[in-house]
Amino acid sequence: MSDIQSIRTQALERLEHLSTLEDAQTWEADYLGPKGAVKLFQRSLGSLSAEERPAAGRAANDLSRELTEAFAPILERLQAESLTAGMASDSIDVTLPGRTPTVGAAHPINAMIDELIEIFAHMGFQSVFGPEVETGRYNFDLLNIPADHPARDVWDTMIVQAPNAEIIMRTHTSPMQARTMERMEPPVRVIVPGKAYRFEAQDASHEWQFTQLEGLMVDKDVRLSDLKGVLQEMARQLFGPERKVRFRCDFFPFVEPGVDFSVDCAVCDGKGCRVCKYTGWLEMGGAGMVHPNVLRGVGYDPKVYSGFAFGLGIERIIMMKYGVNDIRAFQANDLRFLERFAAAGA
Amino acid sequence: MKAPLSWLKDMVSIEITAEELAARMTMAGLEAEKIEHLGAEWGDKVYVAEVLNVTQHPDADRLVLADIQAGEHRLTVVTGAPNIATGQKVVLALAGARLVDAYADEPGKMKTLKPGKIRGIMSEGMVCSEKELGMSDEHEGILVLPDDAPVGTLLQHYLGDTVIEFEITPNLVHAFSVRGLAGEAGAILNEPVRELAVASMDGVPVQENLVRIDAPQLCSRYIGVIIDGVQVEPSPAWLAGRLAAAGVRPINNLVDITNYVMLEIGQPLHAFDLRNVAGERIIVRTATDGEQMETLDHTMRTFTAADLLITDAEKPVAVAGVMGGVNSEVLDDTTSILLESANFDMVSVRQTGRRLKLRTDALARFERGLDPNLSWNAAMRAVQLVLDVCPDATVRCYADEYPVKKAPINISLPFVKIEKVLGMAIDAATVVNVLSRLGFQPVISGETLSVTVPTNRSDVTLSEDVIEEVARIVGYDNLPATMPIGETPIVERDAMFLLERAVRESLVAAGAFEGRSYVTVSESAQQTFAGVTRESTENHLVRLINPLNDAQPVLRTSLLPRLIDAVAENLKHEKTVRLFEIGHAFFGTTPDELPDEPSHLAFAYAGYREPFNRFAPQVRKLNTEQAAAQELDYFDVKGALEVALERVGATDLTYARSEHPALHPGRTASVKVKGEHIGTIGEVRPDLAKELGVGENRLVVAEIDLARVHQLLGGQAKMQISVDHFLPVEQDFAFLVDKSVPAADVEQALRRNAGPLLTDIVLFDVFEGKQIGADKKSLAYRLTFTAPDRALTDAELEKQRVKIQKGVKALVGGELRA
Repeated sequence: MSDIQSIRTQALERLEHLSTLEDAQTWEADYLGPKGAVKLFQRSLGSLSAEERPAAGRAANDLSRELTEAFAPILERLQAESLTAGMASDSIDVTLPGRTPTVGAAHPINAMIDELIEIFAHMGFQSVFGPEVETGRYNFDLLNIPADHPARDVWDTMIVQAPNAEIIMRTHTSPMQARTMERMEPPVRVIVPGKAYRFEAQDASHEWQFTQLEGLMVDKDVRLSDLKGVLQEMARQLFGPERKVRFRCDFFPFVEPGVDFSVDCAVCDGKGCRVCKYTGWLEMGGAGMVHPNVLRGVGYDPKVYSGFAFGLGIERIIMMKYGVNDIRAFQANDLRFLERFAAAGA
Repeated sequence: MKAPLSWLKDMVSIEITAEELAARMTMAGLEAEKIEHLGAEWGDKVYVAEVLNVTQHPDADRLVLADIQAGEHRLTVVTGAPNIATGQKVVLALAGARLVDAYADEPGKMKTLKPGKIRGIMSEGMVCSEKELGMSDEHEGILVLPDDAPVGTLLQHYLGDTVIEFEITPNLVHAFSVRGLAGEAGAILNEPVRELAVASMDGVPVQENLVRIDAPQLCSRYIGVIIDGVQVEPSPAWLAGRLAAAGVRPINNLVDITNYVMLEIGQPLHAFDLRNVAGERIIVRTATDGEQMETLDHTMRTFTAADLLITDAEKPVAVAGVMGGVNSEVLDDTTSILLESANFDMVSVRQTGRRLKLRTDALARFERGLDPNLSWNAAMRAVQLVLDVCPDATVRCYADEYPVKKAPINISLPFVKIEKVLGMAIDAATVVNVLSRLGFQPVISGETLSVTVPTNRSDVTLSEDVIEEVARIVGYDNLPATMPIGETPIVERDAMFLLERAVRESLVAAGAFEGRSYVTVSESAQQTFAGVTRESTENHLVRLINPLNDAQPVLRTSLLPRLIDAVAENLKHEKTVRLFEIGHAFFGTTPDELPDEPSHLAFAYAGYREPFNRFAPQVRKLNTEQAAAQELDYFDVKGALEVALERVGATDLTYARSEHPALHPGRTASVKVKGEHIGTIGEVRPDLAKELGVGENRLVVAEIDLARVHQLLGGQAKMQISVDHFLPVEQDFAFLVDKSVPAADVEQALRRNAGPLLTDIVLFDVFEGKQIGADKKSLAYRLTFTAPDRALTDAELEKQRVKIQKGVKALVGGELRA
């Protein structure tokens, strides 16, 4: 019995001084392990007399239980300490830059086209696309712009070599008005995003190759006020709910009445600032009610149908929205410009 | 068109500022582009003054001392002006005034006036010439003002003006004059327009044979007036000042009057020196082919039978509506003139101007279709001004050939149509009032609005035009915003657009940036990359007659030349360039028909794969071989292309070694969908890459005909996604094959023998080395098998493994390595 007493005394004594997880593992092996002191004592019980054996066996079991219970909280504490120490040595400078994933970006013009397509789809407009090289018939004649009329000078045209035909780079996306109406019966609601070309010197606000979005709606009882409503909705979606659309009278041969439309400046809330040249308004494009001659030209009866059409410059919208100050940036393919739109998500 | 405010105010009362007027005119369709305040630069130091006394300078023969008074300012000025005299009204500049330096070499250079001694006598100010005031180049003497000039007033209040420049849209011919703009202002402001003073022909004899029109279809009216006793001299200040303010250079009183009336009324006029009008008669006829005349710009012109000429009894004297002839121009000693006020066909004038490459102020008005009824008023206004300016002038006779008088048209519309078109109701009284203000004669009877349109409004022919007239004066501002009523059509989505968008999205996710290039290229650049998507012999090039840059007259058949230029530019400041572009290429088919415009996808990559940062291997510290391994190469573009095309359902892409003159012979492939060549991928030859400005970098490019991909896929991109819940099993195979066997063949052999449960196949190692033989390579693949309905057993897998081993050996001679 004295043997088991000394095991107990020594075990408890050492338990109090355990300071590392390794020490604890050694202690556990020394006393509670398969070759530990308690197991060895239990194995030696066979050499005792029959009278002594039950009491000694109980004492050994009691000691095993006592030591296990005493060891558990200490082990837990040492494990926690070890984990804490391990994490402490694994700490980093959390202000170091992260691993940058390789991210590209859609061209801002295409991102804006996507956005406009979505906005107009909600109003029932479907997107159609057409050729960039056009005939004079679709680009001018069917749009009520006769040959030898000064109205034709408004569009400085790039001409394609063709021995006996008038083939040109389309000067606007409007030829798709006639192409669409020839293909469809009213009601028509379409938008046409695409490139257009003008023989025009380049500067910070003029490009010879640029992007337009054409809109066309033809139905019974379409009104000029509907055009204003649709454009106002577009402006709200693009520039925020406070935006207002302003119409002023203007002339385009394929509409009557004709409209030039502006949106109040989102930068200054229409109060006047550098971006809007202190007018409070930013010009967006031309629009109006489809001219009866255009409807007649594609076989629609202007007595039955009416419609509106509009055209706006996509670069201009992006320039307004993101403060881009040089239109030539859109075709310079400079990554320093394109990268800015990776985050903007236009 | 520049309209001086003072001129507008001659005809209509304007109580608002020029800025407010400009804004209101703009809203009504007359866009004011610019407002200029003339004379503002004279400031508060330049006055209208009176010369009280002139005395000789005691020490200089050519100088005088002038005693000048302007209100409270009275001072002595030393001047050498030869024309100064007591009692004159002149312009006095005080010390501190900003004036044009008349002696500076640089034209228009300004200086600040300082008092100074001239030959010992203090000159406290200056009497100014027109040049010093910035009004003209005249510096022979001082500017002498009319006797009624208000002494003591700031000059800017007397001679200054505000000029509004309007952009007149091509439809508006009636507003292309000060009188027309005054009419618009009057309609907008609801103010009456005052009539101009015009001469009367009462008692003047009509001379029937003065004018003959031989081409009545091109000349609807010709008024000729002969005036004797004219004296050609510089215009009076008011006339010259008005012209200068409107941007027209004064020449002499008679020419200036014709220009003045053109600006004022919109009708171009011409004055001939009667001495040089043979037979003192005018014949309006078309030219004979090859007929010649020297125009006022001193250019000999040759005409065709389509050109309309003004001729006398012997020769042409003017190109109708375009420009006069030198042979009959008004000269300093002209004493009698024949004044022309006529109407010419708009198309004919325009075509002649084009043919002669001449654009004049007269042509710009005729080509819009002038009202022949304007001619008389303009002629009479000009005669009045000639009589005013030349005191000895008398009208000898006149003729007015006007065979078919233009009558006003009438437009009727249901009154309710106004609201139907605008979406805004306007009451009858307002409609009648607004149209009347614009010079229309509206009548409402019952449900119908009937409008008589004045003959100068040839732009108004339809009921829609009438509605716009009402709306623009009532104000587009008042228009409500409504949403369209009626059925919303079904929105079809364009399949090609969706394909392009899916390709774009996957490439952006793969780290590439989308570019956008000009569609024109040079002949040589186009030639370099010809044939990457289709044989260059199949089509002809599409060329521009008037490209913006003469060196780039061809529409691209490949997007690569411009994209490669962009790579070269970007490499100047970037370590990594991954660019792609989606856009049309242009292939001529049949002459006189529109070209084929397929949508292409192009790539151009160069530089290092990883951006320079702390995680990437520091290229500078690597040896040559390691650094080369960090360069973007063929496989970067191929991977991107695979990602993009698989996304749109083109899974059965194949690649076959091919050649292209611009590309590296060992690193170029033809890309095929369903066995058809749709494009090329490869590295640009190192020598060409260097020439194209990308230096020593590998330049990897690819170009695909996306439109063809779309057609081959049957129009609809398909993608099948099933979610497998049973665990996939991965099995690795390494095959030893001859070096010459393309990996694509090995992969194909694997796929053929891997059975239906194969869900993925990845090549994860390519090894060459002495250990395996110089002519061999080892390709290691990981195959993934998944069954949709069960866990795979070892027996099943073993069976497949044996089949693969045998199959690959049979097809490509590959030995399975241990």
